[in-house]
Amino acid sequence: MTERSEREDAMREAGRQQLREGKIDRREFLTRSMVAGLGIAGVGALGKGTMRSALAADPRPLTPTFYSWIQDLHPGIPEVNKKFPGLNYQIAPVEGFGIERFVAEGKNKESTWDVYVGQTPFVEMSALIKADVIEPWDNYIPKDVIDDIIPSIRAECTVNGKLYSWPFLLDIAGMGWHSGLTAKAGLPDKGPLTWDEYLAGAQKIVDSKAAPYGATFDPHGWRSLVPMAHSMSSAIYKDGLVDFTAEPVVEALKLMKKIMALGNPDILLEGASDGGVNGTPDEVSFGAQKVGFYTKYFNAPLRMAQYWDDPKLLHLGPLPKFTGGEGSTVFWTTGCALFKYGQNKEKAAEYIKALTYDPQIWKDSIVGTATAHPGQLPPYSSIYAAWNTNKPDWMPDFVSLVRSQLEKAKAIDNHVFGLQQFVIGKPIWETYLKGTEPDPKVALAKVNEAIAAEMKRG
Amino acid sequence: MGQSIAATGLTHNPAHRRGALSSRMMRLQNGVGAWLFLLPAVVFFVGYQVYPIFRVLWISFTDYQFLTNEPAHWVWFKNYAEALSDPLMWASLWRATYFTILFLPGTIILPLLLAILVDRVTQPRLATLYRVVLLIPAVIPSTLVFVLWKWMYNFQTGPINHLLVDTFGLFDARDAPQWLGGTALTLPSIAVMEVWWGLGYHTIFFLAGLAAIPKDLPEAARIDGASEWQVFWHVTRPRLAPVMMILVVLRFGSAMAVIDEYLIFGGFNRETPTYTWTMFMYDEAFKTGLWRQGFGAAIGMIGAVAMMIVVVFLLRIFRPRD
Repeated sequence: MTERSEREDAMREAGRQQLREGKIDRREFLTRSMVAGLGIAGVGALGKGTMRSALAADPRPLTPTFYSWIQDLHPGIPEVNKKFPGLNYQIAPVEGFGIERFVAEGKNKESTWDVYVGQTPFVEMSALIKADVIEPWDNYIPKDVIDDIIPSIRAECTVNGKLYSWPFLLDIAGMGWHSGLTAKAGLPDKGPLTWDEYLAGAQKIVDSKAAPYGATFDPHGWRSLVPMAHSMSSAIYKDGLVDFTAEPVVEALKLMKKIMALGNPDILLEGASDGGVNGTPDEVSFGAQKVGFYTKYFNAPLRMAQYWDDPKLLHLGPLPKFTGGEGSTVFWTTGCALFKYGQNKEKAAEYIKALTYDPQIWKDSIVGTATAHPGQLPPYSSIYAAWNTNKPDWMPDFVSLVRSQLEKAKAIDNHVFGLQQFVIGKPIWETYLKGTEPDPKVALAKVNEAIAAEMKRG
Repeated sequence: MGQSIAATGLTHNPAHRRGALSSRMMRLQNGVGAWLFLLPAVVFFVGYQVYPIFRVLWISFTDYQFLTNEPAHWVWFKNYAEALSDPLMWASLWRATYFTILFLPGTIILPLLLAILVDRVTQPRLATLYRVVLLIPAVIPSTLVFVLWKWMYNFQTGPINHLLVDTFGLFDARDAPQWLGGTALTLPSIAVMEVWWGLGYHTIFFLAGLAAIPKDLPEAARIDGASEWQVFWHVTRPRLAPVMMILVVLRFGSAMAVIDEYLIFGGFNRETPTYTWTMFMYDEAFKTGLWRQGFGAAIGMIGAVAMMIVVVFLLRIFRPRD
């Protein structure tokens, strides 16, 4: 009896929702309400089709699932959630980038959630498409929003002309430096424009004993090897994968070895969390104020500078480039995936639009809050245009720097091996960095071979 | 049995026949009752143990890929042949074995020594205090243990290197030991953490074994002039053999199949010592390409069979010899 009553309530609520959204008229709503309320078999049969459609259309509240770090870094999200009464906000079971649960549910043509906020295109989007777990946003995202996405970001999120990731948080590789340490070393307070200047500055930091280490980087390929290669040229891709024998990649690897000589000795060690990917030694060095120069996505120096005596000593600049190089870098967005077997798809689009345009989230991200300073930026042209027209007093310079970098920056191509190519390749190219293989070209050719062999397996 | 009843001619007697029937019914009833009580355990055992094992075995003979919706094909021993011909399979098995060799002595020798010492404490409150202190690491949640030791071992900010570099000056900032993250010290470092973590738990095993030895046995040996070493070697040690067997077999299995610690302390770098066969299996089945679960299952079965062979060997070593 209670079950039937709950079912009737659900039908009434679903009907009300559709009436509010203009999907049904008042007459249809009253018919459904009567059917639900009377529960008479004959009338029930009469309204069976409409009841079923009402239940199928809205049988549960909008259920987004967020990657946990997003909530940690962006405390403004719950405020947006308040604008969506009944929202069933959840944290995703995806520690360490695992998407097993999503795929397993997709195979059964079902989904506990409607939208996944935490998808990084080059990491997992191809796999989720291949497994038929997600669907494009094109039928749900408003046209003005899709047109507002910065073109390079839109390209990153698009596969076969369809938008599979609604971009949210933008990360871009650049450079940060501890101006207190660089000043102590007698360096000017401006970022080096070329890698030669960068190396010379790092050497000076070490020689002057301003800090134990001159420069550092994160050894994971998408955070160092590829951004450094892009600074020479972003034409390093072949069939959706990095061609590790391309000249810019070879030069980037040589550069990494030169930086290593001035960096923290544990620079190549795996990180302390997320399967070795996060909590890396470069972050420890920079957070402990032991190193002057740092190249990684901006979020990292911003987060680490929070542990400094004076976080204002952090200065940011674009990634240096090779002399005569393209001066590009790497960016990626953390976006939202629409589950094919989820529900509430229009509602999901409405919610993600509100989330990704929320001004407080962006202010908190850029300025920082008491708990976090992610420095992640919005993916929409209109937001930057508004800030340009009327620059808020809280706006730091690095925002316009990032925006200008986006004109040259390129995302890593999407591929099922998008992330794994770096996981497989890292120990192999590190043979050059560790000195067991003297020729970087030989090491990088072996990387290509290893990836090809793994792809042949399936 | 039936034949002997017929031979005695008892079956011709209706009363006896009814008696035999009712006793058979009672046996049947008892049997049904027993099976009813066993049913939950059987369902659990079959559902959560037997079925998954056979399912994985079946998958290991197919080309099943998790990320595609195409049907799996039977490929016979192709996955096994491919895994066994991959140097990574052997390297990763050896890494797990190496960790086990480092870890197992710490689960036997140290806890045994501690148990013997604690067992000799006669003051009841002090004995309880020792037991509680020893058990503290065992009740700390794994996450906290990992966080604690990651901090202890941190190359740049950890207290161990602080002592070695800043306090004792044995190393400088560039050549200090790199304990975790893929160096040669990683597996010994994790083994030390694991030994510390399980010390109280393993000591309690031996304390239970020691409590089961009648006190008059060592006393009689001492009266006969045996030294403390002779008492331990000839009286105590043989009687602790069953405890040792349980510990060695259980901890061998868990050490060979470690994965959480490797995921946290090592990651998926295939050249690091923590990339063992369990990591290889997980990597292939849940990370790489289209998630080749047929191949991953074959790696798992090879690892499991290798472990079973060693377990049989260990059971033989520790078999009762009385």
